Amino acid sequence: MNLKYSDDEIAFRATAREWLSANVPSTPRPAPGEAAVEFDRAWQRTLHRGGWAGVNWPKEYGGLGLSDLKQVIWYEELAKARAPHHINSSYVALMHAGPTLIACGTPEQKAFHLPKILSGEALWCQGFSEPNAGSDLAALKTRGDVRDDCIVVNGSKIWTSGAQHSDYQELLVRTEPGSSRHRGLSWMICDMRTPGIEIRPIRTMLGDEHVSMVFYNDVCIPRSNVVGEIGKGWSVAMSTLSFERGIGFIGDQLDLAERVDRAIELARHTRLECGRIAIEDDGIRERLAAIKAETLAIKAMTLAQICENSRAATPGPKGSLLKLIVTNTHKALCELMAEILGWSFLEYDGSRENHPWTYDYLWSWVFSISGGTSEIQREITADRLLGLPRAR
Amino acid sequence: MFLSAKGNDSEVAQVASDTLNSLMPMSGIHGRTGGQGLAADVRGQLADQGWYTLAVHESGDAGAYTVVDAALFYREVGRIAGPVDILNQCLAAAALHGTRAGDDVAAGKFSVALAVEGGSQRGATLRVIGGGERPDIVILVTRDRVRVLQTAATPTQPIAPLDAVTSMRWLQSDKVEVLRESDDARLWRFGQVATAAMLAGIAEATLDMIVQYAKVRETFGRPIGSYQAVRHPCADMALRVEAARCQLWYAAAALDERHADADIHLRAAKHLNNVAAVRNADSNIQLHGGIGVTDEHYAHFYLKHALLLSRLFGSSRTVLQQLVPNS
Repeated sequence: MNLKYSDDEIAFRATAREWLSANVPSTPRPAPGEAAVEFDRAWQRTLHRGGWAGVNWPKEYGGLGLSDLKQVIWYEELAKARAPHHINSSYVALMHAGPTLIACGTPEQKAFHLPKILSGEALWCQGFSEPNAGSDLAALKTRGDVRDDCIVVNGSKIWTSGAQHSDYQELLVRTEPGSSRHRGLSWMICDMRTPGIEIRPIRTMLGDEHVSMVFYNDVCIPRSNVVGEIGKGWSVAMSTLSFERGIGFIGDQLDLAERVDRAIELARHTRLECGRIAIEDDGIRERLAAIKAETLAIKAMTLAQICENSRAATPGPKGSLLKLIVTNTHKALCELMAEILGWSFLEYDGSRENHPWTYDYLWSWVFSISGGTSEIQREITADRLLGLPRAR
Repeated sequence: MFLSAKGNDSEVAQVASDTLNSLMPMSGIHGRTGGQGLAADVRGQLADQGWYTLAVHESGDAGAYTVVDAALFYREVGRIAGPVDILNQCLAAAALHGTRAGDDVAAGKFSVALAVEGGSQRGATLRVIGGGERPDIVILVTRDRVRVLQTAATPTQPIAPLDAVTSMRWLQSDKVEVLRESDDARLWRFGQVATAAMLAGIAEATLDMIVQYAKVRETFGRPIGSYQAVRHPCADMALRVEAARCQLWYAAAALDERHADADIHLRAAKHLNNVAAVRNADSNIQLHGGIGVTDEHYAHFYLKHALLLSRLFGSSRTVLQQLVPNS
């Protein structure tokens, strides 16, 4: 075992650090809304111009094709430079839609969509979950009626992040009448300006409307927008799993380490209600230290997973463990900050800029519920890592 | 960059596992209780394979074991709830290196007890663990002091230990001879790595135990492992193992490479493994149901041994306070 970086990796870190220090925006991201979306597009343009768009995309499709370890380095440097958070308006396009097209798209689809994703010109959202098909995605019912030249979609999707601002949507619908579960589904590119689409934003406990319901009323999608074969949409949806190689949350993992250090710093300057400086309270110090220990372990787990992935054809199930520990630790840190900040934690105007710790605390549930709930991650662990008898 | 036990280092783990399982299999654990410590013949056989020289040389010196090697070895010791005596032997062999006594310890001729700071309640009496009824050598290791004592067959008084696989005794320290004294911090770190690794082994072994059981034991017409009330705690156990173990490897590698922040990683590893072992041993008993509470079942040995190991070389309270200092 060793923790050594190669000369190439060391040089890469220096290059990334230098570029980031010169290019990270000096103004903070505006509150969610049109201005925030424009901020995200501008940042993506900056990344693209600087040659940093698509860090995990193959070079032949305009990305950097970075090794897993270099991606870790890149995200570490992003966190250190306090760069805009990578989970922004471009996230779905860069980390999900684009990789799906790379894995399963036609040359025409790739040629049209991929460059627009990299440059920030096109934003994507995801149309998978439905009111009765969340964890159990295969229960989805939105149907696509296959005609000669188009597919007519009727139904609804929910929890669509950024629907109001997206140009395209990855849409998974049931195209084979009478089919059930994973069979008979199709994955298609939905232009969000197509007539018949109604977007209803959902106000969340954070006070924003970052997710929506989307209703489809006889929405005609050209057959040329189908990715993969009609009826084989499930395997298209699963294709990104092997692409991501299990390190999809890498940015969050490393970001957490930076935030713990900021929390410790804050504790040195904040007085508790009793008048003592927070860091002088043994209980608070121990809890901060326990969280710090977890964040160190998260990085160690990330590095260990990279090693194991590099030796296996398909990524192992330990990505589930990473999501669990990241989301658990995130919430624990925010809960501790509630104690340290006292009354000021209970002031909240809906803005992350003004109330970062309260906002992040409310985000804990988005984190532990979206992208596979903690309960599902435990199910995956029980099935695939431990080989326990199936519960479902 | 490589952080996995499945690389070139794995040979140490395999040899250790084979040896320990043949010398002290879990099936014989009831015979290992009652304060005997490490039986003399077993102590000698481990010595013959050179295991007591793990800490003798600084990692990086020619022919020296690495800290990673030590972590891999002690993880195997933990998996079979192996006695702390094995660690005591390594510490004393290293502390006395270059002397006749050091050679004898390395050769397995002496039994070694570990004195624990703050355990003494009666002035010149030391609480010692491991080493059996009549330890030949006593070693005291703190963060800034190492002290090796020759007991010259000083009588000891037994303490009935909760952890039945570890002997615990009172020893009169006013009549012993100091063999060596130093301020070598390396042995404290070695002890921290070794105990963290033994705890990692316990965290793994207890997870393996319940997973195996959950696949076969049935209730309400189905294997208990098909119920989420069992599956999800097992998943949580797996997470503790993975986090604590990965951090242990990181800390060991950081020590081998002399990283400036190695101590930070080591403290984090000790805390995480303290918690992982005790929580996993706890869940293992709970999920076994009634049989988990019996003496006949092995589960309680792991719990009690984990409690002892978590107190040695840095309880969580201690290392957490060091991880985030007041100033």
